[in-house]
Amino acid sequence: MALQEIWNGTISFSLVAIPVKLVRAVETGHVSFRMLHSKDYSPLARKMYCPKEEAIVPADEIVRGYEITPDKYIVITDKELESVSPERSRTIEILEFIDIRDVDPVYYDHPYYLVPSKGGEKAYRLLVEVMGQTNRAGLAKFVLREREYLVAVKSTDGALSLITLHYSGEILPGEDLFPKEDKIEAGEKTRMKKIIRDMTADFHPDKYADERRKKITKLLEKKAKEEGTVEAPEIEEEVEEGVVDLVAVLEESMRKVKEHR
Amino acid sequence: MSKKIVDAAGRRLSLSNLNKDLYPSYGFTKAHVLEYYRRIADFILPHLKDRALTLKRYPDGTEEEFFFEKRCPAHRPAWVKTAEVHHKEDRMTVCLVNDLETLMWVENLASIELHVPLARAGSPETPDSIVFDLDPGDQANILDCAKVALILRDLLFQMKLECYAKTSGKKGLHVYVPLNRKEATFEDTRRFSKAVAEVLQRNYPELVTAKMAKEQRTKKVFINWSQNDPSKTMICVYSLRAREKPVVSFPLEWGELEILNKQGDPDKMVIMHSDAVNRSEKNGDLFREMFTKKQKIPYL
Repeated sequence: MALQEIWNGTISFSLVAIPVKLVRAVETGHVSFRMLHSKDYSPLARKMYCPKEEAIVPADEIVRGYEITPDKYIVITDKELESVSPERSRTIEILEFIDIRDVDPVYYDHPYYLVPSKGGEKAYRLLVEVMGQTNRAGLAKFVLREREYLVAVKSTDGALSLITLHYSGEILPGEDLFPKEDKIEAGEKTRMKKIIRDMTADFHPDKYADERRKKITKLLEKKAKEEGTVEAPEIEEEVEEGVVDLVAVLEESMRKVKEHR
Repeated sequence: MSKKIVDAAGRRLSLSNLNKDLYPSYGFTKAHVLEYYRRIADFILPHLKDRALTLKRYPDGTEEEFFFEKRCPAHRPAWVKTAEVHHKEDRMTVCLVNDLETLMWVENLASIELHVPLARAGSPETPDSIVFDLDPGDQANILDCAKVALILRDLLFQMKLECYAKTSGKKGLHVYVPLNRKEATFEDTRRFSKAVAEVLQRNYPELVTAKMAKEQRTKKVFINWSQNDPSKTMICVYSLRAREKPVVSFPLEWGELEILNKQGDPDKMVIMHSDAVNRSEKNGDLFREMFTKKQKIPYL
């Protein structure tokens, strides 16, 4: 399956510019369901509902509000939001190279792959190799879908991956959550080390699988075989009186046209 | 980057990369594109006016990648007129190309193709016209479209509706039925155009299909009635198209279309930039009735 390109542009730093495409690196194994109307299995749609008027609200009557206290809002328009959005950009500008081991995974947000575009293959491979050997990653700012992200560009199995990082302000302070320093007995430390050493293994993620997903998939296969599927009714395009007349008139007109041609 | 500051209707506009070849196989630079739109401005501007523009930008020319931009770029000059529109759940700011300076600014962004909806931004649910987008399938061509367009004209004439045709500037033809009525809705234009397309398909099954599926279109003309939708856009009349050559989506008189159909030379339906300017200056806007002709969809 060709991966869908999310963005394309260039990685640049110093005098280097590598044309690349951004593609997804993961697809969550989430099994998703559509909500159906139980009586005839019509798929349901979400609508915005106003509890005060007990009515569905059309899109042109919806604005954004930032909640200050319950029932107190600041209204923000699209224009205002747009005015603070970063300009779209076609570059991933690497600002500095860091040791990727210094970045605690708590900063990792979402992974993507970068694929070389035409003409960029050689420089791409060079960057993959050198960063891989030195454990370096490029730290860059990158605008995707109206948001500016801090990202790490790193080498992953012979390819470049791009990981969006959380800004430090997003990391919750942990001090209060964790136990204060206490004296640790040397014997305890040795025992813990031994347990961990005994349980040490290489990382083989393929040993593990999402058991719930497997079971759901099995269940779906079984049900498909035994019970078959249910079908949503076709949305009938109500052929009203008017349209019946229209078709009749069109056919009659068509007949006349054909006579004259 | 080559830059040039010009004066467009009293606005200072900075034009960049004027020597960039936007049609490299033909040798037509950004300066040529800007010059084409400057000369055609009087004709195209009324058709762009107050409509949410979709920019189709070719920063590296027609043979390289393009991208659509529905939002009006945030770096726009303060004098560019905009409108707020809704697109599904999204709301956004779009450009309105109501004057020469905005047209020049938009073209400086290499927005070679100008696409607009059938409704104006102020009344996005009210189509000004019905459109029949005639699109030839494999092994069919613009001559087949001309045949269908002429039948369609006769059929609509029987229904007491006037219609106007233009080339798409690519392979097809577009037939418009102006309405110019506040009461018009996309629901009605969609129902009407669909019924018309289906009647044509029933009567000319060898020539016409009203079905989207690609395999059903071989050797036939697909009447794309689903363009009658508030979220769809059509290439604006007089817009350049991004192909190897600077071809224009250009209006044709029915008499001319009849002659071209008899001559049977598809190349004669390709209207180049220079013909477009000369013919418009000579004959005026053949699409001017699009704004004035009031017509009601019958039997709905």
